[in-house]
Amino acid sequence: MIMLEIKGLNVAYDKVQVLWDVSFNINEGEIVTLLGSNGAGKSTTVKTIQGLLKSRSGSIRFMDKSIGGLPAYKVVAAGISLVPEGREIFPKMSVLENLILGAYVPRARAKDLRDESLDWVFKLFPKLEERKKQLAGTMSGGEQQMLAIARALMSKPKLLMLDEPSLGLAPVLVLQVFDIIKKLNEEGVTILLVEQNVHHALGLSDRAYVLEKGRTILEGKGFELLSDKYVKEAYLGM
Amino acid sequence: MDLSVLLQILVWGLYAGCIYILLAIGLNLIFGVMKVVNFAHGELLMLGAYAAFWIYTLSGINPYLIIALAMILLGIIGVFIERLCFRPIMGTGKLNEIFLSLGLIYLFQNLAALLWTTGSRSIHSPYSDVSVSIGSIRLPLDYIIIIVFTILFLIAFQLFMKRTTLGRAMRATSQNREAAALMGIHVERMDMLSFALGSALAAAAGSLWLISGQIANPYMGSIPAIKAFAVIIIGGLGSIPGAIVAGLTLGIAENVLPLFIQSFVGLFGVSMSFTAWKDTIAFFILIIVLVIRPTGIFGEKGE
Ligand SMILES: Nc1ncnc2c1ncn2[C@@H]1O[C@H](COP(=O)(O)OP(=O)(O)OP(=O)(O)O)[C@@H](O)[C@H]1O
Ligand SMILES: [Mg+2]
Repeated sequence: MIMLEIKGLNVAYDKVQVLWDVSFNINEGEIVTLLGSNGAGKSTTVKTIQGLLKSRSGSIRFMDKSIGGLPAYKVVAAGISLVPEGREIFPKMSVLENLILGAYVPRARAKDLRDESLDWVFKLFPKLEERKKQLAGTMSGGEQQMLAIARALMSKPKLLMLDEPSLGLAPVLVLQVFDIIKKLNEEGVTILLVEQNVHHALGLSDRAYVLEKGRTILEGKGFELLSDKYVKEAYLGM
Repeated sequence: MDLSVLLQILVWGLYAGCIYILLAIGLNLIFGVMKVVNFAHGELLMLGAYAAFWIYTLSGINPYLIIALAMILLGIIGVFIERLCFRPIMGTGKLNEIFLSLGLIYLFQNLAALLWTTGSRSIHSPYSDVSVSIGSIRLPLDYIIIIVFTILFLIAFQLFMKRTTLGRAMRATSQNREAAALMGIHVERMDMLSFALGSALAAAAGSLWLISGQIANPYMGSIPAIKAFAVIIIGGLGSIPGAIVAGLTLGIAENVLPLFIQSFVGLFGVSMSFTAWKDTIAFFILIIVLVIRPTGIFGEKGE
């Protein structure tokens, strides 16, 4: 069953168009990766889906409802959550407060639901429980990334989008992040992953799309793309 | 100088400081959430004072009970100002925001003059003749009520910001607007709320000012607003503890220092009054703080 369907998306910043007729879809329960070099338009794509940017034309449907043009807070309420590029945690709040804000949507806000979600994310990220009183801004980059993921989970999303979650992390942490993504998927969360870390990402995903200069130019099964000639040349340097 | 006189002036200063703090906290809140400097904040104080005046004149109930009504009224006016004036120009450049809020100063002043003339208005607090004796000093009850009111407002405000979902959402919006939107926070609504709350706090300042025996006129807001700006800069932009410390320091300093200077030059046989220097003191302190610590006493970027 198709969970998210993007059709003919055109997005521009002021007069500069950066997405051209982008189309793809994500089935329920999948991990889909969006690949693309710097400036290809990956972040623009996920921000548009989330409602942070408005598209010029095209349709975005989520669970059989059109969500194109909805403001971000309504898209979150509909069940999509984004872990943005660069973490964007609330630096002057404690880890716990960051997490509580993650459960702001009416769907997840009730105290008992929130406590349940807290237990869930603390199980996934035990370190966050140890650090729950710490100011988020004083945590290390890796810890902040974990917090950003955990915070996005607090709204109990059906679709979780992660924009370059492994950026700037040490190799051990990168593996940890991919492990978590896999675990989440096994627990039923559908995932759209934006990654430059092609090898890991493709190994993990069911399908992937390649975005180039704002257009979707390739689509395939994760492992198939790994051996694709174009992907090999462009991203794996082979 | 006699100690009881000094203590009395100290309370005077605390009282003036309370007014500055209420204004400064509202300004800080609006700036934090919307990143807009509302230069017309003093005019909200003025409208709050007139609101209190008219509600009192028309109803005759205890003026202290009117404060809540004036705050609600100005809260609603604040919502309209945000929706009609600031929202349409948000993100179109700082200069637009500055000129808009400067324009609002003249709009509100002239509107008030047109509706209610430029004459002074005042109301009579039922406690204006009551004073409390502590040892050898006698303090007007109204001043004590105002100091207590301000403390209660501050505690309530702090609890609201720290403990409630809405307060936390406002703090989140001020720390990172885009991330706040990603949490599902309706950030435009937070703009509206911050303006409403800021306006209500200005109304509290204005009505307390009037009830304590000060006069209201269409231009009464300018000097307190300028001092509230000084308080914010001295305390550090966005810092609530900073605003409290700076507001109290300023209130006390501008009342106590002129007397100190007067008795100091008195030692040299010069007899001269410095009370006219009162309004200048804020700026002396401001300049000194900026030279020593450009980010303000509690200053840092963010919240
Ligand atoms: N706020 C903006 N204003 C104008 N142009 C922008 C803005 N944000 C991004 N762009 C442009 O849009 C294009 C796509 O940017 P986007 O951030 O979506 O790329 P990306 O694929 O996420 O790249 P990266 O891998 O470096 O994160 C780029 O050419 C970029 O310069
Ligand atoms: Mg990007």
